[in-house]
Formats: sequence, structure tokens, C-alpha cells
Amino acid sequence: MFEFSGGIAMILNNILTVAPILVFFICFFGLITGRKIIKSIILMAVMQASVVLFFLTIGFRSGISPPIGGHFEELQYVADPLPHALMITAIVIGVAVTTINITMLMSMFRTYKTTDWDIAEQKSMEDVE
Amino acid sequence: MLIYFVLIPILISVFFYLCPSFRLGRALVFLVQAGLFVAAIYLFVLTQEAEVTTYIGNYTGLLGITLRADELSAIFVMLTVFIFLMVMLYSFREQKSRLYWFLIFIMEGALMGLFLTRDLFNIFVLTEVASVVAAILLMYNRNNRSMYDGMVYLMVNVIVMQLFLFGVGYIYMLTGLLDLAYSGHAMAYLERSQLVLPFALIMTAVAAKCGLLPIFTFLPKVHSIPKAPATVAAILSGLQVKVGLYLFLRFQSMFSVIDVDNFFIIIGVMTAIFGIVLAVSQTSFKRILAYSTIAQVGLILVGLSVNQPYSYIGSVYHMVGHAVAKAGLFLSAGILIESCGTGNVTKIRGVFRRMPLVGVGISLAILGITGAPFFSGNISKYFMMANVNPLLFVLMTIINLGTIVIFIRCAKMLFGRPTDDNTVRVDMCKQISVLMIGILCLVGGIWGLDSIYILFGRELSISVWSFVEKTLIVLASWGVGILLVSKVLPRYQTKLDVLVRFDLNFRTICASIGGMFALLLIVVGFLI
Repeated sequence: MFEFSGGIAMILNNILTVAPILVFFICFFGLITGRKIIKSIILMAVMQASVVLFFLTIGFRSGISPPIGGHFEELQYVADPLPHALMITAIVIGVAVTTINITMLMSMFRTYKTTDWDIAEQKSMEDVE
Repeated sequence: MLIYFVLIPILISVFFYLCPSFRLGRALVFLVQAGLFVAAIYLFVLTQEAEVTTYIGNYTGLLGITLRADELSAIFVMLTVFIFLMVMLYSFREQKSRLYWFLIFIMEGALMGLFLTRDLFNIFVLTEVASVVAAILLMYNRNNRSMYDGMVYLMVNVIVMQLFLFGVGYIYMLTGLLDLAYSGHAMAYLERSQLVLPFALIMTAVAAKCGLLPIFTFLPKVHSIPKAPATVAAILSGLQVKVGLYLFLRFQSMFSVIDVDNFFIIIGVMTAIFGIVLAVSQTSFKRILAYSTIAQVGLILVGLSVNQPYSYIGSVYHMVGHAVAKAGLFLSAGILIESCGTGNVTKIRGVFRRMPLVGVGISLAILGITGAPFFSGNISKYFMMANVNPLLFVLMTIINLGTIVIFIRCAKMLFGRPTDDNTVRVDMCKQISVLMIGILCLVGGIWGLDSIYILFGRELSISVWSFVEKTLIVLASWGVGILLVSKVLPRYQTKLDVLVRFDLNFRTICASIGGMFALLLIVVGFLI
């Protein structure tokens, strides 16, 4: 077995923590390469979901109970509920931002008749000054 | 008490939106805003003695959400209220739309919250609110251009805030705390290698917020949208960018374990030089102002990273002075576009003849930013450059020379005769707001040492000899600047014209965010 130290160990020892980071950077790659605006918006939404997933895995250790429902007196270990509480806000913000982005895309589509970043940029350049 | 600074603007925005009488509502809102200004001064007086803390929900534990005002945040709260007061005075008669006022007040609440909060997650929420509101205000006129730029602005902001949130989660994972100060203390017990990833994540977001080198082009673009309200540009360029720098200051002290000052000095100098080169090549007044903001941000970043007590005071004073002066310049740019029908600095002439008050306001603000003697910029740049090493001193003088060159090109439009003789009457409220901002720049310079004593509680002095030396440097810079503008620049005008269209598209901005992140990881993880 490999022995890692410091921050790397903390990530690698917990496979659940690796998944959101992977998803996050795959989305980032998609944002750099994608040509369509709608794809960028979807990728941003997935990116937000990956951050939410990351927060949810923070409190998790194997063999502990989720912090909802049950009788906490009987349980020995309960997952940390604070990140979950934070994520409710983050999800709401994510929904709002995605909605605004899609609204903007719609009104941009009406004027430019395109969903492509490059063409939209060219057309917006044309009507400067 | 502190929670009212965030709540009152939001409550009055709702009140104004629903109020049946527009005029009555507007008058009441103005009174409340003036009262808020008095309250901000009172808050500043309170923070002189001790930190003012408000626990939200009265939970005083380590995990509680706190609003905390120390001297620094009190200064910025005062600045925010003042600039919003001027912005409201400017749009007093112009803006009839309730939605505009509603959004402006929400923006004020969010910015105040950002300056007061010490909770990492609240910083995320409030920046998201501020950028969404800013994006809506930008698209307000439904102009084509602003639609594209506003969209890029919003999406880039959301992406960097996701990076920020990732960093916050990582800090919570490591320390179990979300408070800036407490998690900063807890970090002393962690290994440095554990902090590399959250540092890179958070600093990338902060760098994008203040528009540092690889990620800066989307900010000047939204600040200079031709048909967006001038007030929005004033708020974005004056205050929103300062929020980035303020967060930089806070996170710099939070990650005190990681010392990358030299890296940020290099980034700051390069940002300033890029900003100046791009500003010199532009012809639109708003564009010039927007790129000069980037240049000043670079300069302030250098001042904050030099790590000298005087340079810290100078930088914060420059942040305040620059915010005021830049807000004034953007507001006067709005007046000029309205009255002359164009924002092109090569076409506007004779502002003094046509609108003497606005002319005085513009010239005072320009003198304030460029650091002419007896103006706020002079004092702040003096302390920023005190005790830095000679190489940096030369670089900062060159950056200041660049700023002077930028503004001499703008100052040309103040003189001469108006090219056309349409006489549009400019609203008196607008002229007064610009003039008041100009006068504040002058006051901040003449009583500079006193205001530094009031703001920072430090009694500083400038010896006569160094003042003369500094004045000579500034005068020489003005001479060289005039020479450059009149003789050298016209020769390279065709080459500079290429830069007018310099722009990064959305994907390139994303790539540069990734680049900044990778750069920070490499620098912090391996080099230092």
C-alpha cells in the first residue's frame, strides 16, 4: 500500500471525497472547451451539484448514521448536520442562478439567433459604438 | 446592531417597491439613507474602542454566524453608504423605475453584509447576491451588448464562487469552523501542506473578484457597457472591486501560515502594467476608466503585499480614495455621454465651458487619482511607497506615470471649445453629486494626515524634505506624461489600435481561471 501524507492522504483515503473533485474538474474542462452556451449552463449546474456532494461527504465516516429522522439517543455516531444545512442555501442559490442564466440566454437568442459563444461574441462586437 | 446595516437597505427597498406614492417613497428612502450614513459614522466611533459583534440568532458558540465590525470594516461601511448616497443623489430625478431603486438597495445591503460578515459561507451567499443583482442592473436597458457581457460576467462570477465554496468546504473539513478569525487561529495547528488546496481555491476566486492578471478582462468590459446606467458602473468599479481587495486582505491574514507576498507583488505589478497599456489604447471614456481601475487594483495589491505598516495604511487609504474618485469619474462619464452624445475622449471638448461644475468635479477626481500634491492620492501613494525596496519604488513610480498618461488623455477634453453647440440641460442633482465627490478628494488630501489619524488612529508625519522630493517626482511625471501624450503616443497609435479590441471570450476566461488556480497550486505547493 502507498503511504500518502498531509492533504493528499485525506483525499485518497476517502473515495467519496474524490468523486466530487473529479466531477468538478471534468465540468471545468467542459467549460473551457464547450462551444454551446446551453452546455455551459448545464455544466455549471453540474458543477454546483458536485460542490454540494463534496459538502455532504465532509461529515461522513463509514458506519455512522445520517442526521435525519431516527432516535439520536440510541445512536452512537451521527454525521455532522451543519454542511447539510449550508447546502440547502447553496442549492437555492444554484437554482436561482441557473434560472437567471437561462432567462438571459433566451433573450440573447431572440436578438442574436444563436446559442454559440463565438457567434454571440462576434454579433455583440458588431453593435459596439 | 450590525444586522440593521444589512437589513435596513433591503427593507426599505421592499417598502419603496410597494409604496403607492413614488415621490413620498423616494423622500423617505433618502432620509433613511442619510440616517444610515450617520449610523455608519457612529459605528466607526464605536469601533475605535472595541470590536462590535453581533451574534445572529443569539448563538454565541464557535459555529455561530457573526457580524463583526473592526475599524477596517467600519471604514468600508462608511464608504459604501457614502457612495450609495451619491449614487442616489445622481439618479434622484433620472430614474423613475421602481425596479432600479429596488435593485440598488438590495445591492447596498449585500455589499454592507460583505464588509461586516466574518462567516465564510455568508461571504459566498452575499457575493452571489451582489453579482446576480449587478447582472440584472446591467441588462436593465435590454441593450444587445450588455446582454452578452452581463451573461459572461454572471457566469464567470458563479464559476469562481463555486471554487470559493469548494475551498470553504475544505476549510470546514480541516478545521470544523466557518468563522474567518477562528479558522485562521485553528490553521496554526495544521500542516502547511494541508492548506495548499483551500488557499489556491479561495485565492483564485478572490483574484477573479478584484480582476487580477490572468482573469481580468471581463470586469472592464461590464464596467464600460455604453448604455448601462452610469451609477451601476460607479458601484461596480468603485465598490465591487474593493470588495475583492477587502476579501484579499482578510484571507491574507487568515492564511497567515502561507506567505506568498512576493508572488502577489509580481502579479500586482503585471496587472497594473497590463491595465495601463490597455487603458492608453482605448478611446471610450468609460473604457479608459475601467482599465485604469485594473491598474490601480494592481498598485493596491502591491501595497498590501509589501508587508510594511505604512504601506498597509497607504493602501487602505488609497482603496477608499480610489473608490470615491472612480465613482465620481464614472458618474461624470454618464453626464458627458448624456450631454455630448458620445463617450469618445477624442471628440469631447470644452467641458469647462459647457458645464463648469462637472468640469471642476472631473478635474478634482483626476487629480485625486493621479496623486497630485494636496490630493488624497498623493498621501496614500506616499505611504504606499514608503520603505519599499528601490526596484519596487521605481516600478510603482512608473505605474503612477502610466496613470498620469491615462488621465492626461482624458483631461484634454476639459479644455478647448465645444465642437457642437447643442445645449442639453444637465440635471442639477447629478452635477452636485459629482462636485461633492471631487471636493471630498481634495479634502482627503489637504487634511490627509488628520484623516489618516481619524481612520487608523496612527499619527503619521511627512517631513518637508520628503514632501518636496515627492512633489518633484510627481511634477516630473506630469511633465513626462504630457510629453508622452503629445509626442510619443500619436506615433504608436496604429499599433495601440490593435489593443482596443483586446478581449478574452468566455472559454478563454475559464481557461485563465484554471491557469490561475494551477499557478497558485504550483507556487504555494512547490516553489515557496
